Amino acid sequence: MLVSDLSKRFGSGPTEVTAVRGVSMDIDPGEVVLIMGPSGSGKTTLLMMLGALLKPTEGTIRLNGQVISELSEGKLPMVRLHQFGFIFQDFNLLSALTALENVALVASLSGRKNGEASRKAQELLSQLGLQERLHFLPEKLSGGEKQRVAIARALVNDPAILFADEPTANLDSKIGHEIMRLLRSIAKEQGRSVVIVSHDQRIKDIADRVLWLEDGQFKDMIRLATDPVCGMSVEQDEAAHRLDYRGERYYFCARGCLEEFAATPERFTAGNERIGLTRSLPDL
Amino acid sequence: MIRLAIRNLFQNRTRLIISVGGVALALMLILSLDGIVRWIQTRVAAYIDASEADIWVAQAGVRNMHMASSSLSSERALEVGRVEGVDSVTPILYLTNVVVAGEERTISYIIGLPEEAQAGRPWIVSAGRGDPRPGGAVIDQGIAEASGIGLGDRVELLGADFEVVGLSGGTTSLTNSIAFISSEDFARLRASPDTVSFLLVRVEASAPPDKIARLIEDQVEGVTAQTREQFSAQERKVVRDMSTDLVTIMNSVGFLIGLAVMGLTVYTATLSRRAEYGVLKALGARNRDLYLSVGVQALASVVLGLAAGLAFTLLLAGIVPRIVSNLGLEVSLESLGKVATASLIFASTAALLPIRQIRGLDPAVVFRGK
Repeated sequence: MLVSDLSKRFGSGPTEVTAVRGVSMDIDPGEVVLIMGPSGSGKTTLLMMLGALLKPTEGTIRLNGQVISELSEGKLPMVRLHQFGFIFQDFNLLSALTALENVALVASLSGRKNGEASRKAQELLSQLGLQERLHFLPEKLSGGEKQRVAIARALVNDPAILFADEPTANLDSKIGHEIMRLLRSIAKEQGRSVVIVSHDQRIKDIADRVLWLEDGQFKDMIRLATDPVCGMSVEQDEAAHRLDYRGERYYFCARGCLEEFAATPERFTAGNERIGLTRSLPDL
Repeated sequence: MIRLAIRNLFQNRTRLIISVGGVALALMLILSLDGIVRWIQTRVAAYIDASEADIWVAQAGVRNMHMASSSLSSERALEVGRVEGVDSVTPILYLTNVVVAGEERTISYIIGLPEEAQAGRPWIVSAGRGDPRPGGAVIDQGIAEASGIGLGDRVELLGADFEVVGLSGGTTSLTNSIAFISSEDFARLRASPDTVSFLLVRVEASAPPDKIARLIEDQVEGVTAQTREQFSAQERKVVRDMSTDLVTIMNSVGFLIGLAVMGLTVYTATLSRRAEYGVLKALGARNRDLYLSVGVQALASVVLGLAAGLAFTLLLAGIVPRIVSNLGLEVSLESLGKVATASLIFASTAALLPIRQIRGLDPAVVFRGK
């Protein structure tokens, strides 16, 4: 996704408010982007524009070459349905439907036949460890389970990008951490981009990039990497140590990790991706 | 979306009961009123239908019994009897009067029957005999029970005392009953021995009644001859015409109640699911997907309401005659068709109301309740 000079203004004249001003960014496949910022900074407005829920006043959003910011209102639902997955702070599951039906409904909206939609939903929920909860109504699920159902729902139509709005806000620390790891795994193993808006500092640990939005524009950009030895997140610009190996740059939290890496780099790089670590789906 | 609609409908039981119950009551009102009017029509025409006469001959221009008077000279009976194809002619006398049985006074069709009548006799005799000889009267069993009288007791008809010699069935309606006395008594009390009210004609086996009716009108002066079916239809029409305004008003009331209940419940149901519809929109559902959900919900409510309304009405049809002897309900396919149409209008109108709400719903509401 390529975003150029994106702005959003509400109202006009003396009451005009600029929520987002001239934001540009790009989101690569498999990348986890965290957008942080104070309340009222325009994070949610930006997320809604990226997710084709809100039309920008100015600027363009391109997805795989297509300018989605200029599509008519009638075409946007199809973009959201097939290209994007949404994960919400309040989970937003349909209360009358079971976990399986919540996921299958979104699959059937995209044109899948009921049986096929149900099979796909069941497969995803099982992968996320919810095989015993398929026929539970949301009210019978824990917060973590609800968010996993929401993630399955977001994934069911194989979207290119997941948008998550405060995905850990209503979860306790442990479950929140598991959900973060899950989102990262999805990005890294399935090559989907994940854009997260959150106040939760812990999400920095799983993000490839942290964008700080203030007064509707990015003030500072923090590019993160994962230490290939200990797995900790490291701010690239602030990393204590770095090392180039076979055309890739690696970042380390401490000299010990650098030395361990330098001794047997193959041990830490074989099969790894750009940031140096691939994690499997967490056992939730 | 259909599953979602059904689940949404059944999730809130209170709303479901209000919605389905409201529609059921409204449809029951329409069905019951139709059923009562139809029952009255049937009962009013019951005597004609069960008369065993193929043709009814009346004074020229008279086409029904209810609130009508017909007077024919006795000679006309002989003339009609001479028309080719006529098998028998039974002259009857008829007047609307009051049967006084104990403390009860009931408006009745008083029928004067000749001895050996070939047509026009009571068709169900539950006690005693069906041919009222001079001094005797056959009255409706329900009237007798309500008045606490039986065979051998005295009733007053046309200002004279009669002994109850028989009890008939199926001869009462909401407005009146039918009582039978002999033609001899009737003529004496009315002081017009040479006139009759109607001629009940039976035709020969091979003769078509409509053709014979035309022959009678051609050959006998001053009479109107109609087949039994035509005469009965005219009688029903009189009742229908008399009740049309009432039925229309009550049907309109029922219709408006049903429409209001359905509209309100579907609208509030949609309103209460606003956030969920917003989620669906955000996830990529199109407006038409959501319209389908609302439409199915409205249709399902109405179908359930129709089924419940019909069940209540049939229950009422079974109970009412046991409680009120001169009232009943006759549920017809025509009435069912009418309420089914009303139901479809309820459903489609109710489903249309929230369309604007859905169309204007911003999917961004899902973000932090905005």
